[in-house]
Amino acid sequence: MIRVDAVPIEPADWESSVPERARRKGWKYGHLTIRRAEGGKRLLEALLLNLDNGSAEIASTPIIDGGSKFSSVTSAIPAAHWAEQAVGDLWGLHASGHPRWKSLILHEAWPPDKFPFAVSADGPPSPRESKFLTVGGQGVHEIPVGPIHAGIIEPGHFRFSCIGEIVANLDIRLGYVHRGVEARLAAVPLRHARHVAESASSDSAVANALAHAQALEDLWGLEGPKRAAAVRTVALEIERVANHFGDLGALASDIGFALGAATFGRLRGAALGFGQTLSGTRFQRGFVCPGGLAWEVGDAQLRLLTQSLSELKPAAADACEILFENPGVQERLEGVGILKPSLADEFGMVGPTARASGSPYDARCHFAHALFPGLAVDVATETAGDAFARAEVRRKEVFSSLRLIEEVLAALPQGGSLVKTPETLPPSKTAIGIVEAWRGELIHWITTDEQGKISRYAIRDPSFQNWTGVAIAVRGNLVMDFPLINKSFNLSYSGSDL
Amino acid sequence: MLTALLHAARQKHATDAVDFPDLPEGVGGLPRLTTEPCLGEACGRCVNVCPTGAIQLSGDPENPDVSLDRGLCVTCGACIAGCPTQTIVADPSTKSAVIHREELVLYSKPTETKPIAALDGVKALGPFRRSVDVRVVSTGCNATDLEVAATANAIFDCSRFGIHFVASPRFADVLLVTGPVGRAMQKPLVSCFEAMADPRVVIAVGTCAISGGVHRGGYADANGVMPHLEVHAFVPGCPPHPWSIVHGILIATRSKATNANHSPQHGRG
Ligand code: SF4
Ligand code: SF4
Repeated sequence: MIRVDAVPIEPADWESSVPERARRKGWKYGHLTIRRAEGGKRLLEALLLNLDNGSAEIASTPIIDGGSKFSSVTSAIPAAHWAEQAVGDLWGLHASGHPRWKSLILHEAWPPDKFPFAVSADGPPSPRESKFLTVGGQGVHEIPVGPIHAGIIEPGHFRFSCIGEIVANLDIRLGYVHRGVEARLAAVPLRHARHVAESASSDSAVANALAHAQALEDLWGLEGPKRAAAVRTVALEIERVANHFGDLGALASDIGFALGAATFGRLRGAALGFGQTLSGTRFQRGFVCPGGLAWEVGDAQLRLLTQSLSELKPAAADACEILFENPGVQERLEGVGILKPSLADEFGMVGPTARASGSPYDARCHFAHALFPGLAVDVATETAGDAFARAEVRRKEVFSSLRLIEEVLAALPQGGSLVKTPETLPPSKTAIGIVEAWRGELIHWITTDEQGKISRYAIRDPSFQNWTGVAIAVRGNLVMDFPLINKSFNLSYSGSDL
Repeated sequence: MLTALLHAARQKHATDAVDFPDLPEGVGGLPRLTTEPCLGEACGRCVNVCPTGAIQLSGDPENPDVSLDRGLCVTCGACIAGCPTQTIVADPSTKSAVIHREELVLYSKPTETKPIAALDGVKALGPFRRSVDVRVVSTGCNATDLEVAATANAIFDCSRFGIHFVASPRFADVLLVTGPVGRAMQKPLVSCFEAMADPRVVIAVGTCAISGGVHRGGYADANGVMPHLEVHAFVPGCPPHPWSIVHGILIATRSKATNANHSPQHGRG
């Protein structure tokens, strides 16, 4: 259960008060967005997280009727800069004082008067501005890349400003896979919502299903069975292991180290096989649901899982030796794409990206989800902030996750895995689900209206924070190292675009 | 380097020994309909749980016909888990790709449907002979992208079948599309197709690419590939199994039933 306190703030104080609250010791910024309150009024809300006691607070202030602006906090909390731009695109509001105002998610392909969350009673929207940051000076040239990429990855546009072969600036334009996930989540019948939640970023199906389930369970004030919490932990860690293997293999492939790519490719296959054994499918779709698990896990499956785990561990150790002890690999990854700890912190990086730049933050140590924070996690950190450090954090996390899975499976509680959940939600309440997904802190933030309908469903994917890290890390590097740097972050486009 | 080679030598053969193996027992695949009598409106569980409206009951309420559209199915498993009569069960087959959209709709009672396109071994038929170059355009499903990429790994090793992924549409035979094709990807997708030379085929991989899946009918206009390009093969699943993706590429380019010989048009609707 994550306690959420409401903190109303006067519009005039917003700009000073929110940064002050976010900077208190033990607190961090979570997300910022708008919701519609009683009578159609718009409320600007900032979610702040207390790491000391695993609780949260929501600072809120009204947008004046007919208004088309709010005060930006980005200068004081740079981590909020994309969230404020997203508000611009979706609600037609302008963040006054935002240092780099432009559209983020909706651009030329969208009619200029389309603001998905705005209604005519809100008054005239503030127009969108689609543009790229241009870099002036002698010899500066631009390289546009995308939205379709050369490899088998999601679409997005990268605009490089280069001096010779050195990147001076990278402007990232996403939004190409905006599907309207948040609006859909508030519109579908509650029993179908979990499938939409999983599709927010379908390579993180367990994490999204879990954040969704935790938030709903908090709204109802109910707790799922112990066994479900334990199996959810195993499911989440399997997802982490499979994807970290995939990332390490992709890094090997990007530097032309075919043996590493092949070895990690098959390990990823083995880890997906665990997911299949546990839940029935490789990506564990439809398995974690509000109230527990959609179906039971039998003893035979658990035995098979424990046995395959013991076979995987030595294979994983071998694979890591092949990759990390290879001088060629070290040479290619070290010193490339450095993200300094101070910048990682200011821009609110999360997950392995943050931990490779010295941050000790891992949501599993602070916020209630599955068996966490009761189950102790070895937090993997590095300080170099380069591609090698990001790989190293993943390596450490693979082994700590495998240990966690073994530990949980060895002491799996007996009993059922599902409690019955009510068909409706309590009125006028807010709850958040926070999960340490394999890419980092994932937030699902749900508010209900007076009728108990979901009035706002906001998702803050870890990638939404971390894309800025890619733009920072690539500066001063060779253009041709960009694919490698990008791969060392491996962020989600669909999770960001929603 | 020596250690690496030693490790490599220790790794055994990873590639699946059988092509298109059935999924193991207990594994949830796409749903399949059996002839077990359904309880009808009195039950209706599957219709109620299905997040995309893929299942319909019709005909005699006492003894209804069940139909299930795999083109809408996001493989959530809820109908399979809830059906008390085993009218809906998990399909272990990984040969789930089809040539025509209608073939994705299953009926509990035998109806006159087109025969499912058979894959004629690995014989080289059609204009592509034994080898095809595939250009992947993702429009927003990273799970399917991962499974498409997985077809090239040591386990599935699609290059054995003459399938290669290429970085440009200029030298591609196949346009493989994943994701629901929301508003901002519609133009880039069509221009990628236009950059390809004839003969060329389009494959919609994953339920989102086929119909938009859970995103269908929303404000982002994300209803799959069909409103924008003619599609030659459909691979259902959310995400589809890598073997099913290989199956889709092969039937689109090698099956007798494929219509890859004539140049496709836009905007089939
Ligand atoms: S498995 Fe497919 S058909 Fe069955 S409920 Fe889920 S989406 Fe609907
Ligand atoms: S769940 Fe099974 S028995 Fe019930 S309506 Fe659906 S097919 Fe018929």
